[in-house]
Amino acid sequence: MPGVDHCLQEAMAIPGAVGASIVDYTTGFPVATTGAAPNADHEAAAAGTADVVQAANSRSLFVSALPHDLLEDLIITTAGGYHLLRMVQTDFDSRLVLYVWLDRVMGNLAVARRRMQKLADELVAS
Amino acid sequence: MTAAETAAPGRLLTQVAGERQTGVLVVGGHPGGAVYVLEGRVIYAESPAAPGVGELLTASGRLAGRTWQNALDLGTSTARVGRLLVEQGHLTQGELELCVLGAIYDAAYFVLSPASAPVDFLIGATHWLGPIVHVDPAALRREVTRRIRLLDEIFPDARVDTAAVAAVPRPPRERITLTAPQWELLVNADGQRTPADLALLLGRAGYATIQELRRMAAMGLLELPEVRSENPEFVRLPQARGAAADVQRPVPVVAAARATAAVPPPDPAPDPPRHLLVEPVEPAPSVEIAGANQAVYRPPRLARRKPGAKLPKEVAGEPPPAHQGTDEVLLKRIRTALRALR
Repeated sequence: MPGVDHCLQEAMAIPGAVGASIVDYTTGFPVATTGAAPNADHEAAAAGTADVVQAANSRSLFVSALPHDLLEDLIITTAGGYHLLRMVQTDFDSRLVLYVWLDRVMGNLAVARRRMQKLADELVAS
Repeated sequence: MTAAETAAPGRLLTQVAGERQTGVLVVGGHPGGAVYVLEGRVIYAESPAAPGVGELLTASGRLAGRTWQNALDLGTSTARVGRLLVEQGHLTQGELELCVLGAIYDAAYFVLSPASAPVDFLIGATHWLGPIVHVDPAALRREVTRRIRLLDEIFPDARVDTAAVAAVPRPPRERITLTAPQWELLVNADGQRTPADLALLLGRAGYATIQELRRMAAMGLLELPEVRSENPEFVRLPQARGAAADVQRPVPVVAAARATAAVPPPDPAPDPPRHLLVEPVEPAPSVEIAGANQAVYRPPRLARRKPGAKLPKEVAGEPPPAHQGTDEVLLKRIRTALRALR
């Protein structure tokens, strides 16, 4: 039965993954972390992650462009890496996002995105 | 077992965690609550102001009330309610862990944020949910401190956290944007429900509820209860400088005082003066009543009658309508607690 730790382990098995965490994006708190974080600070990375998600979710109009539209994931590319944020949709009230940091050379964006989608779904669905 | 004493709940938590104890840290006061520690690690936290795992799962419809109750009946005595739910296939391990983690951090904010409260540590007590996750107490305390700071960055007025929620009758701007959770709160705010009532009713985290309420207060969408308490810092009125200072509108002034506020300076002319300072005719519910207990019943205000006029028959005969949602949630919590005692 996959739990949170197992999910993060699987995320680290994505080719090129450097670090992974699950972040509560209302408070910017890393609920669970593994591997490396930008500047070796998971809590600061989580706070930044929360800002990005909030910006896309409530401070801009991407998500309300269509009725019942939903934010699925956010991808930030930098010269050195990919930062993928995947919303974890739970039935009960929670505001969680799965964050994976990929090495730019080792990582494959399309593969990683598909794997993260699967991980986020498996985490909450039986 | 130690005698109840007044201390900082956070410090006592660090102490018992350092000694790798097992038991429950019970914190009194309002809202109060409890933190369950297993060999120095936090396994659960609960507070009347924060919906617990059961409320979160049933209020959202994720679990039927019957399913949850069955798991409680079967697993309470052996402290493995959580494991049962996973074993019976009602929840995935991931869902349960995420839900418990959320509930712990949510309740910990209410339990550990008071600087001093009556605290008591009962050695050996465990929680009926069973150990699902293990949280480092130091990380928990750090997060509580951070959450307190986050709230004050949004809107530095703690009255919003406990007082009954009421929307302003007329929004302060022509156009306002609400998020879905904010809408839900406003629609369910009837002037009597406190933030804790709303959180339980909607099955939303208590802290997230307060966060949204502070955001709406910062936008000037909530009535701030008039409170003449012993904390004068709550009402930060500007120094009156001649007639130029607009002392009738304290709310936008507070909002403008924040460095990040991007609102233009309030134009006094088009806005109707607020009731806050001008006409204290309707006595706002005092702090004690508002914050003390969600079970306190406040009768709805009747429409104003002419002196000497009789009440309409249908109103006079009936007992005042009870508060459906709140009572139901409260009764469920009492039932859960009673079953846990068996």
